[in-house]
Amino acid sequence: MIVVKDLVRQFKSGDRTIKPVNRVSFGLERGTLASIVGKSGSGKSTLLSLLGALDKPTSGDVVVDGMSLAGLPDGKLTEYRRRDIGFVFQQFNLIPNLSAVDNVMLPIEFAGVRKVARRQRAGELLEQVQLSQDKHGRRVNRLSGGEQQRVAIARALANEPKLILADEPTGNLDEQTGEHIVELLKSLSRDHNTTILVVPHDRGLANKTDRRFRLQQGRLSEETVRGGVRETSLDSEGVPAQAGTAASVGGCAG
Amino acid sequence: MSVLARSVGNAFRNKIRTAAIVAVLAVAIGLALAMLVANQAVAAKVQELNASVGTVLTVNPAGGQGFEGGGEPLTQEQAATAAAVPNVASVVGTKALRLGTETATTSGTNAGRTPPTGPGGGGPGGQSAAAATTSLQAAIDAGTLGNRNGAGGTGTNTGTTGTQTAPAFSLPITATGIGAEVDSTGKALTIIDGTGLGDYSATTGKALLGTTLAEKNGLTVGSTFTINSQAFTVAGTFDSGTAFGNNALYLSLADAQHLAALPGELSSMIVTVDSMENVESTKTALENALGTDKADVTQGQRNLETAASSLNSVKGISLIAFVAALATAGIIILLIMVMLVRERRREIGVLKAIGARNRTIGLQFVLEALVLVALGSTVGAAVASFASGGIASALISSNSATAAAATPRGAGMGGGFPGGAQGGPFSGTTQLLTSVSANASPPVIAAGIAAVFGVAIIGALVPALLTARIRPIEVLRGE
Ligand SMILES: Nc1ncnc2c1ncn2[C@@H]1O[C@H](COP(=O)(O)OP(=O)(O)OP(=O)(O)O)[C@@H](O)[C@H]1O
Ligand SMILES: [Mg+2]
Repeated sequence: MIVVKDLVRQFKSGDRTIKPVNRVSFGLERGTLASIVGKSGSGKSTLLSLLGALDKPTSGDVVVDGMSLAGLPDGKLTEYRRRDIGFVFQQFNLIPNLSAVDNVMLPIEFAGVRKVARRQRAGELLEQVQLSQDKHGRRVNRLSGGEQQRVAIARALANEPKLILADEPTGNLDEQTGEHIVELLKSLSRDHNTTILVVPHDRGLANKTDRRFRLQQGRLSEETVRGGVRETSLDSEGVPAQAGTAASVGGCAG
Repeated sequence: MSVLARSVGNAFRNKIRTAAIVAVLAVAIGLALAMLVANQAVAAKVQELNASVGTVLTVNPAGGQGFEGGGEPLTQEQAATAAAVPNVASVVGTKALRLGTETATTSGTNAGRTPPTGPGGGGPGGQSAAAATTSLQAAIDAGTLGNRNGAGGTGTNTGTTGTQTAPAFSLPITATGIGAEVDSTGKALTIIDGTGLGDYSATTGKALLGTTLAEKNGLTVGSTFTINSQAFTVAGTFDSGTAFGNNALYLSLADAQHLAALPGELSSMIVTVDSMENVESTKTALENALGTDKADVTQGQRNLETAASSLNSVKGISLIAFVAALATAGIIILLIMVMLVRERRREIGVLKAIGARNRTIGLQFVLEALVLVALGSTVGAAVASFASGGIASALISSNSATAAAATPRGAGMGGGFPGGAQGGPFSGTTQLLTSVSANASPPVIAAGIAAVFGVAIIGALVPALLTARIRPIEVLRGE
């Protein structure tokens, strides 16, 4: 269960400040597959980085299973990133001089798992993202963009995180492989109760998610589909919506 | 993939740059090690010098060291006077004999043959030593100088033999009568084989031979030879450390005086002072007690003191150079690691984003630095083991040139000994200086490398701690 409360992240660029995330609040139940869409530069990556404790908010808080990130010391935040979060970066961010399997083994190593066990687990994960066996030992800077993306997804799944934050995870994949990854994410949320927040690169993936958010000028709104009609409700826009969100949070808590 | 494996991998990420870094480190580390080796070698030599000559004074007959040919000989009574001077720990009298070899043609019929009496003892040492003949052959063939020196001494000999036109001349052998088991510099004799002479103040009919002299004549402990037709038994053999020193033999003082037919007469006295600090005052006291017109007191340390102090400055220089080179290696590591940390900011951000602890990342960088240092040390140690001998001798020769020039000629330890037997008056200092051998001994190299690693860890720690300040959000920054 993830609760986002009044989250604000502002940047200073020159003498003006921008707020790509401006008083965002929402809640996600465990096992939800959710998506965030928005124009380029609207703040999607910024929001994910706040949820994944890569960055600290200017104000507001993220509460994960009752644990507030705002009050945590750095050591605990590291542990949170290692144990609870799987991050798929928009730019993959693999370690270029390591092989595919070594990259996937990294988070498992940080979690203190023995070498044989982590090599086996890394191999299985690469199978799951359909990276052919002969490429497991290849250095990632000799892999194609799509192959690198799948290694990045496998690495995010390595420690069986509670929350997967995936920034355009299918952006470099062909339609068929992309479909497979979407199915993989869906099965994780369905069968493993993993909460997944994904920034889709096309409408197709967004339509397959349980909940759809839109980020616009720092504000988050949710699209709901009622009788085939798409409606947009802004969160924290006026008392009723906020109360509604709070109510839904309260309702899900039980 | 462990942290270590990753560090090794990272160290070789850019091979050309790694080679350049290792080369620079190798120069600094190699220099540090060479300086340490030189320092150790010189320190050992200084200690040896101080130990051997630190508290010894030599008393010679007045004028005996000059070219004048000497004044009145020293006597047993003067030895007693010297022994009564405060702070004198011991006085050892010596009596030098110069032994000429009986020629081959006369050896069969040596009866009635007059011993060769060279004018003034021949050598530049000046003071005449009593001459005698022996059945022994010198172990060292005379060089040009020796032949020239010896020519006067054997002049009569050539004439008497007639048939022998140009006999091969070898250096005279020095026989020294000693009042205790010490060599002519006051240092205890190193007996290799057999025993000492026992009572050095009595006539024993025994002798101690230098190793090369014994070898040359095929003598071992128990063998006999003659001096002035008197038989002597080899009681033992000694090693003085130099070829010249080993072409000598020692008798008891009484035997030597008896052979020279000069009982109670001494060539020189070796006075040992109880402590270093008292050497200067005791020298003055001895001069007063014996009279400067009768005896010359020389401080064995004098000429060597200059040598020791020049060696000490070499020691200081090499120590400073070692520390400087070590610090340079540390700074090189520091700068390189700071550069690498800056370069890999984003990657460090990635590691943090996927849950790496600060200490894991810090350790990875320290290990990477150590891999580079290990490579630099390997190359550096190889460089040092080739270069340290050269560096040490370059350091010493440039520093001792002035010291050696300042050493007064003719004030050598040999004193009254004919030129050559003790290595010449001047060669003592030079020989001591050049005999500093800077061998790259494994324990010294190991200690040096340990110091290098210590400095490298300190150098790498700063950048490693800097990685803790890099925030995981760096991953989202463009490259
Ligand atoms: N460290 C920073 N300093 C200043 N401005 C920043 C910083 N990080 C992000 N921004 C700005 O915040 C805004 C949101 O950036 P963000 O990367 O979250 O957008 P995005 O929605 O992920 O875009 P895209 O779809 O192109 O990935 C952008 O205008 C960006 O320039
Ligand atoms: Mg983005």
